[in-house]
Amino acid sequence: MALDSQLFFEALLERSPPHILEHFRLVLVPLFFAFLLAFPLGVFLTRPRYQRYAGQALALLNAGQTVPPLAIIAVFLPFLGLGFFPAVFALTIYALLPIARNTIAGISSVPEEVKEAARGMGMTSWEVFTRVELLLSLPVIMAGLKTSAVLTVGTAVLASLVGGRGMGAVIFAGINFFRPELIVAGTLVIGLMAVILERLLSMVEWLALPRHLR
Amino acid sequence: MFELHEVTKRFPGTDTPAVDRVSLHVETGEICMLLGPSGCGKTTILRMINRLIEPTFGSVFIDGQDIAQVNPDQLRRGIGYVIQQIGLLPHRTVEENIALVPRLLKWPQNRVSGRVQELLETVGLDPQLVGKKFPYQLSGGQMQRVGVARALAVDPPIMLMDEPFGAVDPIIRLRLQDEFLNLQQSFRKTICFVTHDMNEALKMGDKIAILNNGRLIQHGTPREILSHPADPFVSHLIGEDRGVKLLDLVCVEALMTSGDNDGANGTCVQLNDPAKTALDLMLQENTDRVTVCQGQNVAGYVTWGAIKEYVHRVGGDGPG
Amino acid sequence: MGLFTFILDNFYRIMEYTWNHFTLVLTVMLLSLLLWFSVGVIISRYNRLAGPVLGLGNLLFCLPSISLFGLFMTIPLLGLGRRSAVLALLLYAMMPLVRNVYQGIKSVDPRVVEAGRGMGLSPWQLLWQIQVPMAWPVIFAGIRITVVLITGMATVATFIGERNLGRLIHHGITRSHSEMILAGALIVSVVALVLDQFMGRLEKKLVSPGLRYQQRE
Repeated sequence: MALDSQLFFEALLERSPPHILEHFRLVLVPLFFAFLLAFPLGVFLTRPRYQRYAGQALALLNAGQTVPPLAIIAVFLPFLGLGFFPAVFALTIYALLPIARNTIAGISSVPEEVKEAARGMGMTSWEVFTRVELLLSLPVIMAGLKTSAVLTVGTAVLASLVGGRGMGAVIFAGINFFRPELIVAGTLVIGLMAVILERLLSMVEWLALPRHLR
Repeated sequence: MFELHEVTKRFPGTDTPAVDRVSLHVETGEICMLLGPSGCGKTTILRMINRLIEPTFGSVFIDGQDIAQVNPDQLRRGIGYVIQQIGLLPHRTVEENIALVPRLLKWPQNRVSGRVQELLETVGLDPQLVGKKFPYQLSGGQMQRVGVARALAVDPPIMLMDEPFGAVDPIIRLRLQDEFLNLQQSFRKTICFVTHDMNEALKMGDKIAILNNGRLIQHGTPREILSHPADPFVSHLIGEDRGVKLLDLVCVEALMTSGDNDGANGTCVQLNDPAKTALDLMLQENTDRVTVCQGQNVAGYVTWGAIKEYVHRVGGDGPG
Repeated sequence: MGLFTFILDNFYRIMEYTWNHFTLVLTVMLLSLLLWFSVGVIISRYNRLAGPVLGLGNLLFCLPSISLFGLFMTIPLLGLGRRSAVLALLLYAMMPLVRNVYQGIKSVDPRVVEAGRGMGLSPWQLLWQIQVPMAWPVIFAGIRITVVLITGMATVATFIGERNLGRLIHHGITRSHSEMILAGALIVSVVALVLDQFMGRLEKKLVSPGLRYQQRE
């Protein structure tokens, strides 16, 4: 299979850049809102009073995840129309599960003895939460955020179908015109974005952790 | 019988060997206890006998044959192996667990079932009740018994046991020890038994091998070790009360005076009873003289003084 | 509602799409199980291979599904349709399946494995009689996740010529036909949920009762 290298580089260096920024917006905005929603929800569900709802809530989110991304993106079209906002809406929903699930898993896995010791030392509930629970579960929560990020980068490709633009434009062009060079170039760019995002999040995690836990 | 010759094990990355030139001889039909504190190498030695670990130096011979020449899987099928947590297969029933090695050796089905029934009864479990249960449904004591039954499945002449009764509470442990000793009376297997409990070693062992830091410190019968500890470490291991411990091992016959027990009536101790029984009786009846009998006939008597003198003489202060 | 009349009116076409969707998922799952299960078992035995193999799986998983579909489509031997779709989905199934098989086997209680070795089981016997059966809950969880995943991803295969439920959704988008979109989305979700429930029942039947309680700990 002969790849036209000129087309490839053109796709990589000329076609893609305008879409890269769009794609980043399509990823970062949903991720932000998903975190804003899913993280507090996860924390909420680990509080002793609401723990029994955790199972049901997770089951609901899991069920939501069985709906394929294409369907989620498309299903709001009749109600929200085309464009950036509907795409963001759908992508946010899709990004919720990994964050919520990992938040719950991370916080519940903090050993009871450590929390008790902290309370025994005189920490208030808030301090126990921020200084013990959050800190110890940070790696797991961040892993959830990273999973969500990578997932969203990939799913955002489909957003171009509902007018969200982004790198999907390049890839679908490649499919419709039967040009693998475009697909490869587009995929490469997306792959790089995923890696960069993941590294950025790891750095944030590293900075957030106090020195002795690194 | 089996023999360890200068067996040494050095783990990569450590300076001192885990096992340092240990040589040991275990007679057929004998229970040899490997005793020592954590990290002394006793479990490592055990696992070199069935080649779960290979020695860095030295050899192990079973019935004269160097086990390094034998296929390890074959070797292990002929050795019963019981570990502290038993390691029953959770996804199989009790019967299937016990039948594992026989099936491996391709025994016919009816022979396998018969053997499983027999083994369960031998270890004191009701085959009808327990056979089809899964490990999670068993109590600690029951699991231990199934572990022993499994090790006995193909009637191996040698058994290796690593603190097999360690994971149950003391009352059950005593029962299991007694029952196991009973079984050993009929089976006469050659057994290597690891423990960190001195009392278990004294009770169960025909011979005790005391280890520390990978080295063999002393090897002898319980009596020898109690009366002649080789060094301060061994004395310390035995404890201050070794004289009293000895009373469990020495017969009344050795301490008695023959003849009539003029005047003293009451309960008898037998010639072959441990002297401890006589002591207990003296304390109970508040007397310092107890009649010794052989069967129905009076053989003599034993005094408080004789016992005291023995304990002092043999127990002594410090290594003999 | 307009949705139901739409479904009834186009019943046969929708059934055809659903059937295609289902057969695609089934084909991929059967091939995946054969392939990735073996790979998972092999790397658990030969540890040095584990790192690179798992890394490859991870990498494949990160690629957007549409890319793999698109790429395979352009390869002359594969072209549009079923073959490219199956191959692409097969590669996606690699990560969850291989990882779960590998981790399942690795996390089996080492004391039971030791007891097995002590009894004289050879390494392969250990694998098949102890490690794989005990890893089965984790392995099955992986299969279950993969089924749902593949069902969802199969919708994207419509872009390379598969006539399945994704086609309903895609056409609905291009023609702004909301009932089409809803029908496609709804049915796909139902299929995924039904398959997931089915796998759940299967799990109860296939996993030894002795293991279920072990898992709780």
